[in-house]
Amino acid sequence: MTEFSVRVQDLRKIYYEEGRGEVRAVDGISFECRPGEIFGLLGANGAGKTTTLRMLATILKPTSGAAYVLQHEVTKEPEAVRRNLGFYSATTALYPRLTARETLDFFARINGYPADRVRERVEKLIARFGITEYANARVDRLSQGMKQKVSIARTVVHDPPVLIFDEPTVGLDVLNALEMQKVIAEFRAEGKAILFSTHIMSEAEKLCDRIAIVHRGRIHACDTFENLRAASGKRYLEDIFVHFIERANEAVALEKPSA
Amino acid sequence: MSLRPAIVFALFRNELRMILRDKRTIITAVLLPLIITPLMLAGSSHTRKKREATLQSKVYQFAITGTNVAEIRTVVQLTEERLSAQAKTNASVFKFKEVENTNSIAALNRGVLDFVLEGFIEESGSNDPPSEPRTAVRIVYRADRDDSSTGMDKMWSALERTDRNRRYELLQSRGFPVQPGELATVEKADLATPAHAAGLTLGKMITLFLLVFILSGGAIAANDLLAGEKERGTLETLLTTSASRVEIIAAKHLTTLSIAGFITVVQIGNLMMYVGFRVIPISTKFAAAITPGVALLLLMLFLPVAALLSSVLLLTSGFAKSYKEAQLYFLPVTLIAILPALAPMLPDVPLRSIICLMPIANIAIAAKEILIGWYDWPMIALAWLVTAGTGAWLTKLSVSFLSAERLITAGVSKDLPPTDGAGWFSRRVGIWFAILWAVVWIVNSYTATADVRVQVTVNLVGLFFIGSLLMLWRYKLNWRETLAFRAPKPAVWLGVLCGIPGGLLTASGLSRLTTSLVPVSPETMEEFSRAVIPEGVTLGELIFFLALLPGFFEEFTFRGLLLNGLSRRMHPVAVVIVVGLVFGIFHFALFRLVGTAFLGILFAALTLMTGSIFPAMIWHACNNALALITETIGIPIMELDWWMYGIGVVLLAMAFWIFWRERKPYPGLRWRRRDP
Repeated sequence: MTEFSVRVQDLRKIYYEEGRGEVRAVDGISFECRPGEIFGLLGANGAGKTTTLRMLATILKPTSGAAYVLQHEVTKEPEAVRRNLGFYSATTALYPRLTARETLDFFARINGYPADRVRERVEKLIARFGITEYANARVDRLSQGMKQKVSIARTVVHDPPVLIFDEPTVGLDVLNALEMQKVIAEFRAEGKAILFSTHIMSEAEKLCDRIAIVHRGRIHACDTFENLRAASGKRYLEDIFVHFIERANEAVALEKPSA
Repeated sequence: MSLRPAIVFALFRNELRMILRDKRTIITAVLLPLIITPLMLAGSSHTRKKREATLQSKVYQFAITGTNVAEIRTVVQLTEERLSAQAKTNASVFKFKEVENTNSIAALNRGVLDFVLEGFIEESGSNDPPSEPRTAVRIVYRADRDDSSTGMDKMWSALERTDRNRRYELLQSRGFPVQPGELATVEKADLATPAHAAGLTLGKMITLFLLVFILSGGAIAANDLLAGEKERGTLETLLTTSASRVEIIAAKHLTTLSIAGFITVVQIGNLMMYVGFRVIPISTKFAAAITPGVALLLLMLFLPVAALLSSVLLLTSGFAKSYKEAQLYFLPVTLIAILPALAPMLPDVPLRSIICLMPIANIAIAAKEILIGWYDWPMIALAWLVTAGTGAWLTKLSVSFLSAERLITAGVSKDLPPTDGAGWFSRRVGIWFAILWAVVWIVNSYTATADVRVQVTVNLVGLFFIGSLLMLWRYKLNWRETLAFRAPKPAVWLGVLCGIPGGLLTASGLSRLTTSLVPVSPETMEEFSRAVIPEGVTLGELIFFLALLPGFFEEFTFRGLLLNGLSRRMHPVAVVIVVGLVFGIFHFALFRLVGTAFLGILFAALTLMTGSIFPAMIWHACNNALALITETIGIPIMELDWWMYGIGVVLLAMAFWIFWRERKPYPGLRWRRRDP
C-alpha cells in the first residue's frame, strides 16, 4: 500500500458571515499526496483552496472531516502536523527587523530543529539559495527577489517532509516566478510531498503531477493532466478547467427547483 | 500542554529583538519620557516658584467705594500699621496701596486694580434684641485672575485679623481681662508615626502610578506583538510553525512584562532622580514608609497585577486588526483598568470586605494598608490569589484567542450562530447575571436600612423574579424545560431529607473553619444577626420571608435560569462550581461567601443529578427554616462540637449517594463538548 504524506477525507469548513449567512468555504474535499509528488489545487479566487490549505496547516479548524499529515491528525496533533510541514503563501511575511540569517536561525529553532545543528543548516541554506552577500542585512532592506529567497529558505529550514505553497507566485515578476517554480521542482526531486495551489493554468500544467479542479468548495475533477485531457476531450488546461466548472454549474442549476 | 523552555526563549529573544530595533519604541517609551518628564517638571517648578515670588513681592492695588468709606479706610490704615511693624522682620509681608479711581469696577475688570473694598450697610437679621444696622466690607475681585484672587485672600485674612484685634481691645476696654492667647488652647496628638502618615498618602497613589507606567510601557510591546504582527503578516507565519499557541503567548507575555517592567523601572528611577535633585518636592518621610521588606512585599503584590495587565493588553492587541486600531483602544482600556486602582482613594474601604474579591482594587487597598502598617495576612493572600487567578484566566483566554480564526481571517468568519432562543440565552447568560448583580447592588444600597421583609420582597420578587421572567420572555424559552420543572424519582426525597440537616451542618462547619482563618468582627456578626432577625417579627413571618420565598425565587433564578444557560456551554463540574460561586457573590457579604457558595454548589449538583429543580427548592427552603429555628430557640449552630459537623458530612454523603443512584438526565446537558 502506498504511504501517503497527506490525506484529506471529506473536509468541510462552514462558517457564518454577516450579511451572507452560512458560507460553505470547503464542502467535502478529499485527496491524497505522496512523497515526491506535486499535487495541485487549481481554482478561481474564493474556490476554497486557501481555506483547505489553512486547515491542513492547523490555522483554521475544520467543521467536519479529517486531514492527516504523516499520520498526525490536524485537530488532534496540531503541533506534530506543523513540525512536519513547511507553509508558504503570499501572506506569510518575514520579520522586517531581523536579518536573513537571524530569520532562518529563529524559524529553525522554533520548529524544533536540533539546536546543535541549527547553525550548520542555516549556513547550508544561505549557500544553496545564494543569499550569502546579504545574510546579515535586515529583511526590510532587501529587494522583493531577495525576500522571496529568504522566505523559501524559511519554509524549508526545519527540513519538513511536506510543503504547502499557497499561490506562491502572486505578485512576483516573471523571473522570480520562474525561479520559484524551479525551486519547487527541486523539492519534489528531493522526495518532498508538495501541495501547490494556484489559479494560473500554465503553472499547474508545468509543475503538477496531479491536478484537482476546485470550485465552490468542492473538487470536480482530480487526475493527471493527461487523464484530465482524455476525460474532458479538451487540449489546453484552461479549456479543461472551464469544461469541469461549467459541468459543475449545470449540476447545481439542475439541483435547484425551477422558478 | 507542555511548555518547551528552549522554544519560549527563542520566541522571547525574537520578540525582544523586534521591539528593541523599532525606533518608535525606543523614542516613545524610553527617550521621550526621559526628556519630557524632567522638562515638564523643571518647567512647572520654575513657573510655580516664579509665580509665587511675583505674587509675594507684589504691591496690590485697590480702591475703596460704597458707604462709609472713611471708616473702611481707618480699618485699612490699622491693618497697614500692623503689617508694617511685621515687615521689619518679614520681607514677604502683604503690601497694598490704595488708588483713587472713579470707576473702580471697570478698573478691576481692566486689570488696573487687583480688588475693590466696597462698603455697604448690613441689615441686622435679628430683632430680639434689636440691633443697629452696621457697616460691612465686601471684597470685590476676579477669580479668573491669579493676582486678584491672591490679593483678595490676603486682604480677607488681614482685615479679619484687624477686626479680631479691635474686638479684643473693645472687650478689654469694657473690663473683660482677656488676652487673645488665653481664650482657648487646642492641641493635636497623632498616634500614627510620620512614616505611616506618609504611607497613607503614598498608598493612595502607588497603584495608580504603577498601573499607568505598566500600561504605557506594556502597550508598546503588546501592540507590536499581536496587532503589529497581524499588520506585517508575520502572525500567520508564526502560527504555521510547530511552536504551540501556549508557547507563543508565554513568550509574548514575557516580552510585554519585560518591556513594561523595564519602562516602569526607568520611570521610577527618573522620578527618584528628580526627587533627589529636589526638582519634585516630596516628603522625606516617604523613604521611611518603604523599608526593604515592604518593598519586596509590594513587588510580590504587584507582579500578578502586571501579569493581569499584560493579558489585558495582549487581548486588546489581538482584538485590533492593526497597530493603529490597537493604539485607539489604548485610552479606553487604560481608563477602565485604572478605575479599580482608585479604590484606595475611597474613604473607609478595608481589605476585609467584598473589595478583596475585586482584582487590582484589592491589591491597591492591600498596598495602602501595608504602607500604613496594617498587615492582614489572610486577606493579603486572598487578594493576591484573586488577582493572580484573574491574570491566569485572562492568559488562558489570550491563548484561546490566539487560536481564534478571526485573527487570520480578518474577523469575517464566525461560528454558526445559535438557531434557537436557548442557544442565544446560553451565550448571553453571563451578561444578564452581571447586570442583575449590579442592579441588586445598587438597589440594596438604597434599601440597606429598610425592614428585612421589604428587602427580601424587593430583591426576590422585584429583581430576581422579574429579571428571570425577562430572560424567559426575551429568548422565548420553554419555561418548563429551562427551569427543570419536572418531578424527580420518588427516592430522591429521602436523599433531600438526609441532605437538609447534613447540608446545614457542613456549611456551618465550613463557615466556622473559614471564620477561624479569616476572623470576622463580632460587631459585623451582630449587625448581620440583627438585620436578619429583627425584633418584633414572628418566627412564622421569618420563615415565610427568609425560607419559603428564597427557596422558590432564588432557585428559580440560580438553579433554574443560570444553571440552564451555563449547562449548554460548560462542563457539568464547571457549571456546578460557577453557579455556586455566583450564588455566593450575590449575597454580597464576604464572610457569607463560603457558606452560601457551598450551598449553591450542593443545590446546583442536586438539580443536575436529579434533572429537577423541585428537590433544590424544598432543600433550600428547609435549610433556611432550620437555620432560623435553631437560631431562635438558641442552638448555637456555629459553636457545636466538631464531631457533629462530621455527622453532617456523613448525612450529606448519604444524600448524594442516593441522588447518584436515582439520577435522571438534566435536559440538554453535555458531558463532553463534542456530544451531540
